[in-house]
Amino acid sequence: MSAAAAIAPPAPVSEARRSGLALVVLLIAPIALINALGFLVPVLNLARMSFYEVEPTGAMREVYTLATWLTVFKDTFYAELILNSITVSLGITLLTLVCSYPIALYLHRSSGTWRTILLVLVISPLLTSAVVRTYGWIAILSDSGLVNNALSAIGIAPLRLMFNKTGVVIGLTEILMPYMILALLAGFGRLDPRIEEAASTLGAPPFTIFRRIILPLTLPGIALGCLLCFVLAVSSFITPKLLGGGRVFLLATEIYDQAIVTLNWPLAATLSILVLVIFGGALVLYTRALRAIM
Amino acid sequence: MTDRITAPAAGQAGEGFLSLKGLTKSYGGFAAVDNLDLEVPKGELVAFLGPSGCGKTTSLRMIAGLVPATSGRIVVGGQDLTEVPTHRRDMGLVFQSYALFPHMSVARNVAFGLEMRKVGKDEIAQRVKEAIALVHLSGKEEHRPSQLSGGQQQRVALARALVVRPSILLLDEPLSNLDAKLRDEMRNEIRDIQKRLGITAIFVTHDQVEALTMCDKVVVMNQGRLEQVGTPVDLYETPKTAFVAGFVGRSNRLKATARDGVAEFAGESFAAQAGLSGPVEIMVRPHRVVLSAAGADATAGDHRVSGIVARTIFAGDILQYDVDVAGQIVSVELATRGGETVLQPGAAVTLSWRRQDVFVYGTAA
Repeated sequence: MSAAAAIAPPAPVSEARRSGLALVVLLIAPIALINALGFLVPVLNLARMSFYEVEPTGAMREVYTLATWLTVFKDTFYAELILNSITVSLGITLLTLVCSYPIALYLHRSSGTWRTILLVLVISPLLTSAVVRTYGWIAILSDSGLVNNALSAIGIAPLRLMFNKTGVVIGLTEILMPYMILALLAGFGRLDPRIEEAASTLGAPPFTIFRRIILPLTLPGIALGCLLCFVLAVSSFITPKLLGGGRVFLLATEIYDQAIVTLNWPLAATLSILVLVIFGGALVLYTRALRAIM
Repeated sequence: MTDRITAPAAGQAGEGFLSLKGLTKSYGGFAAVDNLDLEVPKGELVAFLGPSGCGKTTSLRMIAGLVPATSGRIVVGGQDLTEVPTHRRDMGLVFQSYALFPHMSVARNVAFGLEMRKVGKDEIAQRVKEAIALVHLSGKEEHRPSQLSGGQQQRVALARALVVRPSILLLDEPLSNLDAKLRDEMRNEIRDIQKRLGITAIFVTHDQVEALTMCDKVVVMNQGRLEQVGTPVDLYETPKTAFVAGFVGRSNRLKATARDGVAEFAGESFAAQAGLSGPVEIMVRPHRVVLSAAGADATAGDHRVSGIVARTIFAGDILQYDVDVAGQIVSVELATRGGETVLQPGAAVTLSWRRQDVFVYGTAA
């Protein structure tokens, strides 16, 4: 408190607000600094790199050109790549939602030790790396894997479950389910058994209660879970790489190939920026959706 | 939905519109509601009164179908509803927590039950309007529940339950979340609306004032069992059990010993149940005790004991003396009229009361 404030009595209110603001800035500063250095600077660097010229040898020259961007926009391969990434990720998100929703609803309604046990079970897959879990899926889905062995044992022709979209979708769905369940649970706050009972006494049969009461009240959780899983699906590359076997073309795997295999860094940078744009779009959709349902 | 219960006819004379027959709910070996028998005539407002955990809410939830009965029958208007699921029971339930649909406007909340009954659009609009007017919320139709006060939310809940013209209106502690002033207001309003519509209603409460002032009949419950059913006057003037005497209104509970149907306390004999022997409680209400200075000729009352004032509490309208009689405290309440001498602790007094104001209950069990 400054001396001026002590002399002029009406001042303290704005003075207090100013010192409150200072505290907020002080508390935000560290994370803002880390984000600026660890995220914003590399992203800007990436953006700059996307305009560098690349030679057929793979050498990168610090000469600015629009060549890479024009290639990406003109070549239908990239348009397909982007569209494919978005549709596969949306499909994975939807499947994850369908598989996770009943589990989250059950978890929300359980209580006590049972709830704790279930929560630990839901979170425990996150303790294992996605690489290990993906190899687990390979053991299940491969041509001589668990599923196909079982099928051949009962005389059914083997199914192609790996090195295609099916494998990627199955693997990623399972890997993303813990995130979806946790996001759904976080968004189930408005759900109240009394409200469902009220609907029931007013004559609503179970499915109507779900459609008119439970589903609308859980939309915030659904929106949050879908945003999270979509972003994670678009950016995941280990699982698509292993289960797709190089035959499923997605943005993340293509960025990896361009950066590590082909060594075309400007192209990798351009595609990375496009991924960011897609995330931005998803975020805008999420905020709009949230405003519409709240 | 052809199997929905439509406007049931009134039950035959002598039989209740709502009958509970041996209704029981057990959790493991514990009976939350134990063999409850009750007949509720059409158009009556009946209170389920008791302390928390007495089984009153469980009984209400069984009537609504939200909790399956372990055994016993629930019959409404001659129809056995015991196995009928909640959404086909045609009952209106008002919750303590209101339980409004937070994502719907007031009008949509009220319309919900009518939509479930496939009522026509125009009729829904008309009936919703009427129901909202009935609870004095006209003009708030498009508000969200979160924009309303607690009292207004409870009115919406009431309108939502009433608009479908349920066979029975169930109220589960509807006033407990409201502040004292609003509670008085809502109490009168619920009573008025219930009388005007002539609807049969069950009112669950732990508040004896609510039960006594609002309801035609009061069902006192304790530990899953029905203690007594009667009008508020019955319960207050002739409580059948020590629990009812203690729970409904305030009572002095004096420990004494009975021999062959006569209880002795402070040299005075009190008639107990014929042949009753052993420890008993003598109960008398504080405002039915007449207090006079020791030695004065106390003519009023059949029983007379003497004691010493231990404490004087002046509360404006009420003057309370805690009097030490033979080592036990007897509270006496006097309505102040102004000008009376306030006795100080240590004063010797004589207490007297009439025979019909004393209840003696065995406590041997």
